Amino acid sequence: MGLREKILDSRLYRDFIQRKATGALRTYYDVPPADPDRSVMETEFIALDLETTGLDPKKAEIVSLGWVIIRQLAVDFSSCEHILVRPSKELSESSVVVHRIFDSDVADAPNIEAALEHLLPQMAGRVLISHHAPIELGFLGQACKRCFGAPLQIPTVDTLVLALRDIRRSGEPMKAGALRLDTLRRNHNLPPFRAHNALSDAIAASGLFLAQIAKRDPKGELELDRILR
Amino acid sequence: MSIELEEIAEFLKQHHPFDLLPDAEINALPKRLQARYFRAGTKVLSPEQQCLHLYIIRTGGTETRDPNGQLLARLSEGECFGVRAMYQNGRAANNITTLEDSLCYLLPEKDFHDLTGKYPQFSYFFSQMGGDRLRSGMQLLESRDDDQLKLMSVKVSDLIARDLVSIDKSASILEAGQLMSKERVSCLLITEGDDGVAGIMTDRDLRNRVIAKGRSYDEPVTAIMTEKPISISPDQYAFDALLTMTRNNIRHLPVMKDGKAVGMITTNNLLARQSLSAVYMAGRIGKLTEPEEMAKVIAQVPELLSHLIEAGATSHNAGHIVTTLSDAATARLLQLAEEEFGPPPVPYVWMAGGSQGRQEQTALSDQDNCLIIDDAYDAEQHGAYFKKLADYVCDGLHKVGYVYCPGDMMAKIDEWRQPARTWQQYFNKWIEQPEPKSLMLCSVWFDLRPVHGTKSLFDDLHRMIVSKAKDNRIFQAYMVGNALTHHVPLGFFKNFVMIRGGEHDKTLDLKHNGVVPIVDLARIHALANGVEAVNTYERLNAVKAFPSISNQGASDLLDAFEFVSITRLKHQVRQIRRGEKPDNFLQPESLSAFERSHLKDAFSVIKNLQSALEHAFGKSGT
Repeated sequence: MGLREKILDSRLYRDFIQRKATGALRTYYDVPPADPDRSVMETEFIALDLETTGLDPKKAEIVSLGWVIIRQLAVDFSSCEHILVRPSKELSESSVVVHRIFDSDVADAPNIEAALEHLLPQMAGRVLISHHAPIELGFLGQACKRCFGAPLQIPTVDTLVLALRDIRRSGEPMKAGALRLDTLRRNHNLPPFRAHNALSDAIAASGLFLAQIAKRDPKGELELDRILR
Repeated sequence: MSIELEEIAEFLKQHHPFDLLPDAEINALPKRLQARYFRAGTKVLSPEQQCLHLYIIRTGGTETRDPNGQLLARLSEGECFGVRAMYQNGRAANNITTLEDSLCYLLPEKDFHDLTGKYPQFSYFFSQMGGDRLRSGMQLLESRDDDQLKLMSVKVSDLIARDLVSIDKSASILEAGQLMSKERVSCLLITEGDDGVAGIMTDRDLRNRVIAKGRSYDEPVTAIMTEKPISISPDQYAFDALLTMTRNNIRHLPVMKDGKAVGMITTNNLLARQSLSAVYMAGRIGKLTEPEEMAKVIAQVPELLSHLIEAGATSHNAGHIVTTLSDAATARLLQLAEEEFGPPPVPYVWMAGGSQGRQEQTALSDQDNCLIIDDAYDAEQHGAYFKKLADYVCDGLHKVGYVYCPGDMMAKIDEWRQPARTWQQYFNKWIEQPEPKSLMLCSVWFDLRPVHGTKSLFDDLHRMIVSKAKDNRIFQAYMVGNALTHHVPLGFFKNFVMIRGGEHDKTLDLKHNGVVPIVDLARIHALANGVEAVNTYERLNAVKAFPSISNQGASDLLDAFEFVSITRLKHQVRQIRRGEKPDNFLQPESLSAFERSHLKDAFSVIKNLQSALEHAFGKSGT
């Protein structure tokens, strides 16, 4: 982890931004963050994925969010949710091609502020799981800043980073596509998955996460700190 | 429901007993599940450990051992463990260890009990697995397991065969009796007003309450009817109907929906539902007179096969049962031919060869047969009769669904319709002067079994074949050479070598590269040791006693045979269930990793025993 991320993830920085946060984000910060010294078994996680109109968090917008919660290292399917988000601008053709979400689909969807008001209580006190987390963190952070006046801080496990550590540790050369979610899942004997939407990706990442933890410690007694990004 | 969860529902639908649940129920299941992941070698449950979920294996495999370490089961994708805990207050009974990295879905105990309470056929599946053995009334059924399962999945509404026959309660006994006679029913519903049910009256009532009592026929039916009859709802299962009837000693059961009678089921209805059972099918064939009608019965063989495999039959059992039906059709056609052309002028025996001979038929079979005629046969005098007979039967079998043998090994071909002495010459030549062409015949003609006629005609021939083959090393060496041409699809690194390109790209041919090599091995060992059996299972069991193959080798081969055969049958059942034509081409990817590794083991066994064979007999001729 670079110095910048270290600062951004620090308690000090959290105290600083917490004071600026308003609305749902303020309530989010009222819940203490997950304790990095506790075991992963005792920690609750939220695996999340999102789809956007583009790649740059400063310009593009979130169009859908999917998540599922992991408790005691079990993915709880009753918790899974998938919501569409109505962007402020019309959807561009190129983004529609990627995620197949049309203006008509999001016409009645909540805007990003309402969506975050629903999501943030789910994230409070939990650890974010994402495959290539900078995307999720970037977009959620920007959205929080816009809606609630402060960035988002959440302890995060990046399954891509864990996979990278596994490959480096094994000493084998990295093959093309080795870090892709479906490749990693196959290597862990997880069922094939089709990338449909944000929820299917979130669930796919949650399964990979369980496998990555089982590989490190079948009992799940290792501390959260050892797997954070 | 989100698509990801739909995939979980789809997965469940493909696995027994979840496939028995209605769609609405199964679609609601994923939301109640959790997923957990276990590395290979993880002890998931141990005896007395708390277990509040039913575990459904999504990927991977596990091993169940009792508290003494005795292996009870190996489970793979789609199978469940933790069943015992569901029935003993959440306490696990056995040790469950993962054999490979496994993802499991966990169904909470409460949801499990909700489902078993609501769906008897679902509950029945688990009760078989050692749970709910005391479920009321189960013991009442003494029929076979597969028939029971059938009863557990058929709804009462499916059993109602005809419109309800009813009469108003003002009618006389005479009128009621006349209506029953006219409608040919054994039971009448007595109605009151438009829809109301006053009672039922059966032919037994006419006998016991009218004739035996000397009652006047002019009395109203209400005097003899049974009031407020026991009834059943159309949504209940055939099993419940049978149970109700058995418990109350009744043979007729009105079907009531929202207070209205919608039909009547009788014990006969229930028995007709068992029409898929092989015994019934064979009996039915014996009564039919047209190949076209027999074809309708034989067309149910894929369904029968699916049913047998789903009910847990071994491939040995399934092959035996399916072959019974081919035998029944063959015998019936011969009877009909004899009725049409008169009794045979000299005795004959109709022989089945190939898979029918070995009693190893599956959903798809062509016919291999021949005719051995008594040596009193005179071609000029009797030739025409037997030609007509053979044509009638072979053509009939073709119409029934057993298509003509592509290699022309059928009794309708003159060469294969000969007196015993000619057959002796054939076998003499094949055994003493083996050549590649005759070896091709071996797989069919060295697996002969009499089906119909004077079976003693075959006995002498069979003894001769067995004793000659046993003593002829050159013949054996030729057979070995031929057997070794069927390679198992396993590469140097124990990877699958798949068919490339064409219609069956990236598949394994389970018949020619799996089943056939084992059948060949069994045949050689049997012939070389003078074993008369033709069934592969029986051959392998018999050759254990001889030195040409080790006891362990024969046992391994038996296991491999069962595994490859059942994998092939399951593959065919999946195709049948999808409405496709069954074939032998399996995509290894459609198997779980656990099954794949088993299949590789089975192929290794075959490969090892092929090379052992080569050492034992030498190889020549090819």
